[in-house]
Amino acid sequence: MKRIFTALMVLALALVVSSCGGKGSSGTIVYGTTDKVSDMDTANAYDFHTWEIFQNINKGLLTYTPGTTEVIPGLAESYTVNDKGDEYTFKLRKGLKFTSGKEFNADAVKWTIDRAIALKGDPSWLITDYVREVQVVDPLTVKFVLKGPTAYFPTMVAGCPPYFPLDPSVYPVDKVVKNPSELKGGALVGLGPYKCTSFKRDEEVVLEANPNFYGDKPKIKKVIIRYFADATTMRLALEKGEIDLAFKSMNPSDINDLSKNDKLNTFKMPGPFIRYLTFNCDVSVFKDKRLRQAVSALLDRKEINEKVFLGQNEPLYSMVPQGMIYAQQNFKDEPGDANVAYAEKLLKAAGYSAKKPLAFDLWYTPSHYGDTEVNMAEVVKAEIEKTPLVKVTIKSAEWATYKDQWRNKQMACFFLGWYPDYIDPDNYTAAFAGTNGAIGNGIYFSSKMWDDLFTKEQTVSDPKVREELFAKVQKMWVDEVPTSPIFQGNLYVFTKKNVQGVNIGPTLIFNYDQLHFEKK
Amino acid sequence: MRRVLNYLIGRLLLTVPMIFILLSLVFVVLRVMPGDPVSAMLGGHAPDSVIEKKKLELGLNKPLGAQYVDYLGQLARGDLGKSMIFEEPVWTSISAKLPATLELTFFGLAVCLGLGVPLGVRAARNRRNGHDFGIRLYANVVYCIPVFWLGLMLQMIFGVFLGVFPIAGRTGSRVISSEFDTTGLYVIDTIIHGDIGALGDVLFHLALPALTLGITLSGVFVRLTRANMLDTLKADYVLASRARGISENKVVYGHALKNALIPIVTMLGLQFSALLAGAILTETTFSWPGMGRLLLERIYLRDYPVIQGVIVVYALLVTLVSLAVDLVYAAIDPRVEL
Repeated sequence: MKRIFTALMVLALALVVSSCGGKGSSGTIVYGTTDKVSDMDTANAYDFHTWEIFQNINKGLLTYTPGTTEVIPGLAESYTVNDKGDEYTFKLRKGLKFTSGKEFNADAVKWTIDRAIALKGDPSWLITDYVREVQVVDPLTVKFVLKGPTAYFPTMVAGCPPYFPLDPSVYPVDKVVKNPSELKGGALVGLGPYKCTSFKRDEEVVLEANPNFYGDKPKIKKVIIRYFADATTMRLALEKGEIDLAFKSMNPSDINDLSKNDKLNTFKMPGPFIRYLTFNCDVSVFKDKRLRQAVSALLDRKEINEKVFLGQNEPLYSMVPQGMIYAQQNFKDEPGDANVAYAEKLLKAAGYSAKKPLAFDLWYTPSHYGDTEVNMAEVVKAEIEKTPLVKVTIKSAEWATYKDQWRNKQMACFFLGWYPDYIDPDNYTAAFAGTNGAIGNGIYFSSKMWDDLFTKEQTVSDPKVREELFAKVQKMWVDEVPTSPIFQGNLYVFTKKNVQGVNIGPTLIFNYDQLHFEKK
Repeated sequence: MRRVLNYLIGRLLLTVPMIFILLSLVFVVLRVMPGDPVSAMLGGHAPDSVIEKKKLELGLNKPLGAQYVDYLGQLARGDLGKSMIFEEPVWTSISAKLPATLELTFFGLAVCLGLGVPLGVRAARNRRNGHDFGIRLYANVVYCIPVFWLGLMLQMIFGVFLGVFPIAGRTGSRVISSEFDTTGLYVIDTIIHGDIGALGDVLFHLALPALTLGITLSGVFVRLTRANMLDTLKADYVLASRARGISENKVVYGHALKNALIPIVTMLGLQFSALLAGAILTETTFSWPGMGRLLLERIYLRDYPVIQGVIVVYALLVTLVSLAVDLVYAAIDPRVEL
């Protein structure tokens, strides 16, 4: 027995020593996240994290200067716009090749767009709402013919992965790719600074520097993305040094603690993602806009931010977040926060009283937006019930059910969030109060006047005119209240001390090729 | 031999109605639960026509009875179907994660028995003294501890404060498993590849999850072993062995424990399902990419075929282990007839 025990101890020691060497490389960064990857196809994926990967392994005809909203040439070296503003002609860079070795040309661009239109995936509206057709002028020239003038079309080409060209010899034209193993060659193919060399859903995605990339080569040769089941474990892994970088989604208490940790870098950036309260403007009690105004007036955004998020986000007073062009703060001045008197006046006018209060269900989804949702629902309920004229019942549903219920108009009032598809105030307004957008988000608000306003701001290119239009829309929002903004999120990235180059700008694009290790 | 074969066939045939009933329950519960997998899959912006087309493709527009009959027909052909969300064969999704769960369960079981049986024996040999009291206290405490809480505590103490063990995943963060992944059982794969460094890394990553799972279940085995040992140590043959001058250790381990093991082996079969249930929580705590996490994630996504497939595999595993336990039981006790 003793000999067996001794042998086991010697073996254990040998294993400890041998495992300590590790296979680390100074050119490798390990990035931890609790996000998930969805479909590995730009034609169907419509979530933040999968888009982030696409933005590193693919590239658009245009792109952004990292950390800014400045649109610069990408796979196209230049573009022109016709006078009417509804035809964009791109001149492609010469000599580019996909990671499969296939030459990149105008045919690939047209094929990609036509495929996305045909597959009708979740984000396809970003193309079908704007693009009439794509024409190949010559092998290195491609023309987008739009359905109408669209001033912000370059931002969509730069930032929306459905526009990023795919290799027609690798991707199937008639079906959405869920896993890279379905592709010819078994790997994702792109034109970005990285290529994907290993993919295990919910375990790891490994990216290595693409030697064919046209731009500056990444300083970090390998990025290993590790997926964690929960934020607490990810935090511990970062503190322990098992990962070099952690991004999305940390709990507020973890963010607080990590921010105070001297052994880590904290990168805090204003984020353009927003959270808001949504009203079903069609079949629920909230068909009456006075009730929407009343509930909105009862919100105390500062309190929500302090109590639920420990002050880590910013109260939001317009659906257009601060930092975006044409952003205002109309909800701040009137009615402001926690305006009980204003709300009661509206409720009484609508026939409600303490004996006959307005009763409605307030819905949240427990995990899609993080663990803080239940807290936010409770705080908002308490704020709304500061007047005895309202009675709120909190209800919850998992994300799949939540979406189902908003489609079926079963939720009168519920929380939602929004990450922008493209960097323009149109994506924060028409997406909710335009007739089509409102249906997609369960709001069912529809007004010809509003639709006409949105059509005008989408088609006019004069910034002054657009500014006036958005000022009008934001002012009208306080009156109609199809949604009520709550807060604008800040982004937090935590890294080891020697990791630099985290530069996520208003576009929310995380360029891995900007990361580097600081030499001491 | 013929009798054993008949017994095996009989038991396997009994599995069929058991899985049928289980699957039927799961099938109905999933489909009457609120939440639509197509909405979950396609998001809020997909046009109604696309949603309807997808429902047609997946057969979700058919009456429940028709969907059920279709599914049974598919199962009869040995086809678990395709994931509604990722469209890959259910078996592909499961087989990618099953080895991780099997590996964790195996080592968890090893810890469970490695702790439970020796501690139970020690408690029985030191009846009513401090050792017995301490071990029984340990057994009661670990029986009550929620498995995820123990996992978190072990992560904090041994992973973070002491920095001895890693706290998440199956391999080091810089180790790319696809470089040695052959069977999915990383301990075996690293041995096959002769990569001792990777083997050490994999075993280190197994340590905390296996301890978590094993410790929480060991309490049952401590009490069971102790109770059975107390009985067998009173037996006449034990007295006779001592009288013949056989050493105490040989009497306890060579004679008494062998007889006490029989009910323990039976309990192993019964506890295996608890082991699998515990593995679901352990996998979440340690970000272990096994079937438990797969099941949880696909429940959120309403991926019916994968959920059903995982339940089938779990049921089969429990059945096979129970069957193996019965055979071992018969093998070690000649008095037992199959």
